[in-house]
Amino acid sequence: MTTPIIRQIVKWILPYLMLFGFYIMFFGHLSPGGGFSGGSVLGACLILDQYVHGNQSIGSRLTGELLVKISLIALMLYGTLKGQSFLSGILHQSGLPVPLGTPGNILSSGLILPLNILVGIIVGAAFYLMALLFEEGRI
Amino acid sequence: MKKKLAASMITILFISFLMIGLSEFPPFGQPGDVIYNEVTQRYLEKSIEETGAVNAVAGMILDYRAFDTFIESSVIFTGFVLVLMLLKGKGVEIK
Repeated sequence: MTTPIIRQIVKWILPYLMLFGFYIMFFGHLSPGGGFSGGSVLGACLILDQYVHGNQSIGSRLTGELLVKISLIALMLYGTLKGQSFLSGILHQSGLPVPLGTPGNILSSGLILPLNILVGIIVGAAFYLMALLFEEGRI
Repeated sequence: MKKKLAASMITILFISFLMIGLSEFPPFGQPGDVIYNEVTQRYLEKSIEETGAVNAVAGMILDYRAFDTFIESSVIFTGFVLVLMLLKGKGVEIK
C-alpha cells in the first residue's frame, strides 16, 4: 500500500476529502447529510491516511483508550444537552433558552448543529477504531 | 449435547415469543391503519417553524426524535467497546 503513486495521490486528495466530511457534518441541518454520514467520511479519511502514511498519519496519536474517552465525552454531552430539552417539556418550552435563529443560516436551528457534530465524532471514532483492530500493535 | 438441546429450546421459545407479538400487528398497507395519522403532515408543514432546520430529515431525527438518535449512538459506542474488550489480546494493555 505504500507505492509513491498512492502516497502522492492520497497527499493531494486527503484535505479535500476531510473538508467534505466536515461540510456534511456542519451543514446537516441545511442540506442532505448529517452526523452519521459526515462521521463515516471522516473515519474513512483517517483509515486511508493510516494505511498509507503509517506512523506519520493524522490519527497516529489516537490510541484506543483516547478514542473511547473522546466518544464517551461526546455521548455524555449529547445526553446532557438533549436530556434537559427532552425532560423540560414538549418543543423545549421550559428548558435552556436556545434560540432557533433564521432558517437557512449555519448558526440556526437550536441544538441540531452541536448534536450533529457530537454524533459525527462518535461515528468517526468507532470507524477508525474498528480499522485499528486489524493493525498489529496499535491497540 | 445437553447444552445444544438447551440452546435450541431457548431459541425456539424466543422465536415463538416474537412471532406471537408479530401476529398481533395490523395488516400491511390498509388506509385505516394507525400509522397513517397526522404526524406526517405536521412534520412536513411545521418542521421549519418549530425546529428551525431547512432539512426536514435533520429536524426529525435530531429534534423531534433526538432520543432515538441518542440510543443509536449509544449502540455504536457499546458495540465498539465490546469489540475492544473481546478482541484485545490477552495480557496486552491498551496504551
